[in-house]
Amino acid sequence: MTAELVFQQALNGLSFGALLFILASGLSLVFGMMDVVNLAHGAFYMLGAYVALSVVQSTGSFWLAMLVAPLALGVLGFVLEPLLLRRLRARHLDQVLLTIGVSLVIVDVIGQVWGREVRSLSAPAGLDGSVTLIGGVYPVYRLFVIAFGVALAAAMAVVYRRTRIGMLIRAGVQDAEMLGALGVDTNRLFASTFATGAALAGLAGVIAAPVFGVQPGMDTDPGLLYSLVVVVVGGLGTLSGAVAGSLLVGPADTFGKVLFQDVALAVIFAIVALVLLLKPTGLLGRIRIAR
Amino acid sequence: MRAALVAAAAAAVVTFPYWSRPWASPFATTLLRDALILAIFALSLDLLVGRAGMPSLGHAAFFGAGAYAAGIAGQRFATDQLPVTLGAAALVGAALALLIGVLVVRSEGIFFLMLTLALAQIVFAIAFQWTAVTGGSNGLSGVGRPMLAAVDFSAPDLMYVLVAVTFVLAVLVLWGLARSPYGRALTGVRENERRMRALGYDTARLRLSAFVIAGTIAGIAGALSAYSTRFVSAQDAGLGNSVRAFVTVLVGGAGTLGGPIVGSALVSLIERVVPSLLPTDLRIADAILGIVFIGFVLFARQGVVGLGHATLLRVSRR
Amino acid sequence: MIEIRDLRRAFGGVMALDGVTLTLADGERRAVIGPNGAGKTTLINTLAGETAPTGGAIRLAGRDITRLRPWQRARLGLAHVYQRTELFAPLAARDNVALAVAARRGPYRMFRAVPRSEYAESEAVLERVGLAGRESVAARALSHGERRQLELAVALAQRPRVLLLDEPTAGMSPLETARITELIAGLDRALTILIVEHDMDVVFRLADRVTVLHEGRVIADGAAADVRGDTRVHDVYLGKAVTVA
Repeated sequence: MTAELVFQQALNGLSFGALLFILASGLSLVFGMMDVVNLAHGAFYMLGAYVALSVVQSTGSFWLAMLVAPLALGVLGFVLEPLLLRRLRARHLDQVLLTIGVSLVIVDVIGQVWGREVRSLSAPAGLDGSVTLIGGVYPVYRLFVIAFGVALAAAMAVVYRRTRIGMLIRAGVQDAEMLGALGVDTNRLFASTFATGAALAGLAGVIAAPVFGVQPGMDTDPGLLYSLVVVVVGGLGTLSGAVAGSLLVGPADTFGKVLFQDVALAVIFAIVALVLLLKPTGLLGRIRIAR
Repeated sequence: MRAALVAAAAAAVVTFPYWSRPWASPFATTLLRDALILAIFALSLDLLVGRAGMPSLGHAAFFGAGAYAAGIAGQRFATDQLPVTLGAAALVGAALALLIGVLVVRSEGIFFLMLTLALAQIVFAIAFQWTAVTGGSNGLSGVGRPMLAAVDFSAPDLMYVLVAVTFVLAVLVLWGLARSPYGRALTGVRENERRMRALGYDTARLRLSAFVIAGTIAGIAGALSAYSTRFVSAQDAGLGNSVRAFVTVLVGGAGTLGGPIVGSALVSLIERVVPSLLPTDLRIADAILGIVFIGFVLFARQGVVGLGHATLLRVSRR
Repeated sequence: MIEIRDLRRAFGGVMALDGVTLTLADGERRAVIGPNGAGKTTLINTLAGETAPTGGAIRLAGRDITRLRPWQRARLGLAHVYQRTELFAPLAARDNVALAVAARRGPYRMFRAVPRSEYAESEAVLERVGLAGRESVAARALSHGERRQLELAVALAQRPRVLLLDEPTAGMSPLETARITELIAGLDRALTILIVEHDMDVVFRLADRVTVLHEGRVIADGAAADVRGDTRVHDVYLGKAVTVA
C-alpha cells in the first residue's frame, strides 16, 4: 500500500462519493418532503443513462445528454406523481409499493426498447484524458465528477437556505400538511419535488455512465443499493445526511474493494449494521415513523 | 369433514403428475412445481407481511442463501442426502435471518422495508462477487441430486413430489402457527404494538422469532429451487426475487393462507403463460406484472382472496 | 407499593415533570388532578415506561423499575389504560382480552389452538365489566363507551397489582361515566389504582387520596376532602399564579 496507491484510491473514493451524492440526494429529497421512499429511483437512474445513450448516439453531444436526460426524467416524474402517487396520499407504505410496480415497468420497457446487452458511454471529449497527479496518472473525468458533485451540493445548499423554494422545501420536510393549511399548493409542490428527485436520478445516470457503464441490472446495482445504503447511513430526508452518507460510503466501498476484493460489500454491510445498532435513524437523520 | 376434504386436496396436489398424465404435458408438472416453490416462498413472506405486519422487501436473501447452502453443502460434504443439504439450507436461512433480523427488527413500516431491502441487496452483491464460494456472476452449477437414502428425487416426477410434499408441510406448519397463541400474538403486534408491550409482550423478540421462522422456510424453498434447476444464480438472492414474492403475497391477499397460494398461481401464469401469447420479441412479462401490481395496490389492496371475502360477504347479505 | 422520588422529565426546555415525589400504599386509590399541561399524562407515561425520565426514580413493590421497558413493567404487575383507546381493532372483544390473558402464559406456544380456558377467562372478565354478549364483536364495531369498558377488561385480564388509568371517563355520557365509575369502585381492594381524571365527581367517588399537579410539581397531596377545600388548588384551576411551597 504505497502512498501513491492510497492517494489514487482516495481520489477514487471521493469521485465515487460524489456520484453517490448526486444519486442519493434525489431519494433523500423525495423522502424528506413526501415520506415516500421512491423505489423506482434506481429505475430513473437507469433510464437517465439510457436516454443519454440515445442522445449521444444521435447528436454526439454528452453535454446535451446531461441536459436532456434530467429534463426527460423530470417530466416523467411530474406526470407520474399525480397519476399514481397522489391517489394514495397519506398511505405512505402503499405509495412505496406503487413505486415498486413503476420500477418493474420502467426496467422492462428499457430492456424492450434499448435491448439487454451491455452498453457503454464514453466521457465527453475534453474530459476523456488523464492527468498526472501526485499518485500517478488519473482520469480527468473522475476529477470532473468530484467537482460536479461539490458544485451540486453547494448549489443545493444555497437553494435550500437562501431561496423561497428552499424555504418551502424546508418547511415541507418539517410538516407538509401545515404548508397546505397555510395555502401553499401542496399538489404542485409534491409533483415538483418528485420531478426534481427523478431529474436528479437521471442526472446521476448520465454522469455515472462513463464510469459504471450502461447495462441491465444497473437499477439495483449500483442504483438502488447504493442510494439506499447512503441514506440509511447518512440519515434520510436531509441534505447533510446525503452528504455525510456519500462521504462515508464512497471511500469505504473503494477501499473495501481494494483490500477485500470479492467480499468488499461485507465492509458496507458492517458499516450499515454498525450505524443501525448505534444510531438507527442514520448519522444525521431525523426520526420518522411512517406507516 | 373439512379435514377429509383438505387431506384429499393435499393428496391430489402431491400426486398430480400421475393422475394428470393422460391429458397434461410434462411441462405442466414443471410449471406447477415452480409455482409451488414460489408458493412456499410467498407463504413464508406472508408470515411477516400479512401476519406480523413487517413489510420485508429483502426476503430473497434467505431464499438465495438456502439455495447456495444446499448446493455448497452437497459439494463440500460430498453427499447428496437431503437431511444434509436441506438441513444446511434451513440452518443457513435461519442464521442469516437472525443476523439481519437483529438489525432490522426494531424498525417499522417504511423504514423496516428499506432496511430489509438494503441489507438483502448487500447479501446479493456478496453472492454476486464472491466467485470463490458462490461462483460469482456465473452462478453455482452442479448442484447435486436430492437423495433420501437410495431414492433419487431428481427425476421430474419425483422432484415434483418432493416439492409438493414440502408445500403441504409448509401449509400445515403455517396454518398451525396462525391459529396458535403465537400467531395471535403476531397479529397483536401488527395491530397495535404499543399495546402489546403494555400487556407484557417483548415485541422485539416476537418479531425476531417470526423473522427467523420465515427466513428458515424461505431457505428451504431456495434449496428446492436449487434441486430443480441443479443451479443457483445470484439473482435468486436479488431484489427481483424479493419483489416477486412480495407481489405474489399482495396480489393474492396478505394475511390469509390462501392468498400467497392464489398469488403464486397468478404470478406463475403471468410469467409463463403470457409470454407464450405474445410475439417472441416482446418480452414484457415483468412490465405486465408491474402493471397488475400497481392495479392491485391502487384498487384492490386486499388482494384476490380479500376481494373474494368481501364479495362473499356482500352476496350473503342480500 | 409505588414510590416515586423526585421524578423529572424535560421535553426540550420544558419541564413536564419537575421533581414529583409521591407514594402509593398497597391497595390505595389515588387520583391525580390538575389543570391542562400540569404533567398528569406525562406522569402516567413515565410510570408505565413509555417515556424515560430525565431524573428521579420509581420503585414498584420495593424494586427499582426506573430503567425497565414497558413490557418488563407489565410482567411485574403494572397495567396501563391509555387516554386514547388503544385496542386491537379488527379482533373480537374476547380476543382482545385473550391477548392479555395469554401474555401471562407466554406467547411462544406455536402448535396448539388457543386453549379454551383462555377464552373462558376472557369471557368472565368481559362479563365483569358489563360486556357480556358482546364477546364476538370486533373492537372497532363497539361504541365508545363499550370500548372504554373493553380497555378496562384488557387491563384487568393482566391480573395486575397496580392499575394506571388515564382519564377513563373521557368522552363518555353521564350514564356511561356512572357505569365505569361503579365498575372501578367495585374492583378488588388489593389492587392499587392511580387514576388521572378531570371529572371531580368521579375523583371524589373513587379516591382515598388526591394529588394535585401544577406545572410538573405537586402542590397538594392529601385526603380527598382536604384537597377539596384547599384554596391553592382552587386558584390553580382558576388560572391564578401560585407559589409552590
